[in-house]
Amino acid sequence: MQGYLEADLSEVSNWNIMDVNVRLGPSGIHGELALEKDALLVEMDRFGINTAVVSHFTAEEYDAREGNSALAGNRNVRLIPAWSALPDSSDVEALARRNPNVVKLCCASSKHNFSSASWCSGELLEYLQDKSILVLVSREDLQLGTPTGWDNLVALLSNFSRLPIVLLDLGYRSDRYLFPLLKRHTNLHFETSNYAAHRQLECYVEAFGSDRALFGSQLPLFTPGAALAVLISARISDEAKLAIAGGNLRRLLKVNPQ
Amino acid sequence: MKSPIPIIDCHGHIGVHPDFPAYKATVEEMLQVMDLLNIERLAITSTLACYNDCPRGNEQVAKVLDQYPSRFLGYITVNPDPPGQAVKQLEKHSHFHTPPLIKVHPTCHRYPIDGPNYLPVWDYANQTRAIVLVHTWDSDPLCGPLLLGPIAQSFPNARILLGHAGVTWRGYEQALKVAQGHPNTVLDIAGSHSHRTIIEHCVNKIGAERILFGSDMPFLEAALSLGRVLTSQISSLEKELILRSNFLRLISA
Repeated sequence: MQGYLEADLSEVSNWNIMDVNVRLGPSGIHGELALEKDALLVEMDRFGINTAVVSHFTAEEYDAREGNSALAGNRNVRLIPAWSALPDSSDVEALARRNPNVVKLCCASSKHNFSSASWCSGELLEYLQDKSILVLVSREDLQLGTPTGWDNLVALLSNFSRLPIVLLDLGYRSDRYLFPLLKRHTNLHFETSNYAAHRQLECYVEAFGSDRALFGSQLPLFTPGAALAVLISARISDEAKLAIAGGNLRRLLKVNPQ
Repeated sequence: MKSPIPIIDCHGHIGVHPDFPAYKATVEEMLQVMDLLNIERLAITSTLACYNDCPRGNEQVAKVLDQYPSRFLGYITVNPDPPGQAVKQLEKHSHFHTPPLIKVHPTCHRYPIDGPNYLPVWDYANQTRAIVLVHTWDSDPLCGPLLLGPIAQSFPNARILLGHAGVTWRGYEQALKVAQGHPNTVLDIAGSHSHRTIIEHCVNKIGAERILFGSDMPFLEAALSLGRVLTSQISSLEKELILRSNFLRLISA
């Protein structure tokens, strides 16, 4: 719908945006917002999102293997699968057969209900680290609303210091935990969909540079228009915007910029 | 991203917050961001008042209004405790705006919005046709949107802004239910949950005339709400109502 108050997204049309936080498929919790592949691609087009790392709701809400099968059935050159990972040996073997570039840990008690600690997930995490596979894990899954959750993240970052980790859905109240960890753990990165306190993104870049923040939208639950507007209006360099919009994720995935 | 038209923003603050750092939150730094996004006027409440000390917080708002009368509107923030303080504050700062703009925060003040200590505030609002911004949150026993229905019914001259519109998708549905039943209620979209299609959903349910742009600046990033509205699939006329006309009409009546 065009009009005099249509958002001007022309600035982002050549940003080659790569979204690190997108979900696909039916949802038992968010049924009114869930999107199948074709509709998801249309919505990505509307916001100039070229490529997305995509997990499957069925994997998150029901069963990792079934969700991974559904994800495999929705292959598209613009969608990079984030496979759901479980800690058991047989699951690690099944995951390895998919030759993953990205995995998502859904370890919360309300999801797959396992610990990210070495005594539980050691074999899985060793495999992921050895293969330099990008690991996505959400605030909810690490229980970062509690100090114990942050301690669990510290253990993960310390014990697997070559494992690239991206925190998803990081809340805007996180900086008193996040900033000390960014200083200590170079393998820590975060996604920006809810990193939305007043001028927070600017202040992060001023303190740390732009290399650790990755653009994410939470499609289909959130509108990309919100996180995009935050990035567009941030008073940071064009280079920093391009890095956050997709350059950092391409670097982590060793993907050709084109 | 800059608004093509000047925005009148119904939900802002001055001050800092206890649980995360306040960045670039001086009034002058806020003005820079308001200019960047084209926010002409921001209605502010003091976070000191919301969290801790209403009398001192309202004095801070008074100073900002004196300094920048064309850029800010002032809410008088009131706490139901101690009893009697709220109406004294409303009378003391009645010069902020006519009709009065009142802010209540049941969560921070840990007192239910339908509790008896709020009755003098609702009486005052009813008599003065005040605009009352209420912090709301999905199903919250202190400030769930559904608690506002009976209040809107009992105090029909008060104009109630459902702050954050209940935040979650379910909270929005609760706020919409209240708005559908009570014409003296409107939704404020300030909040960190950027639900896809929620703006369109609200416009379909209650019409764009009952929806207000709120940023929650400098708590939240104002561009967040701006992006939600400008990229929503509603008409430009409806966006203009939300971004500017509705709040102007409300505070002028």
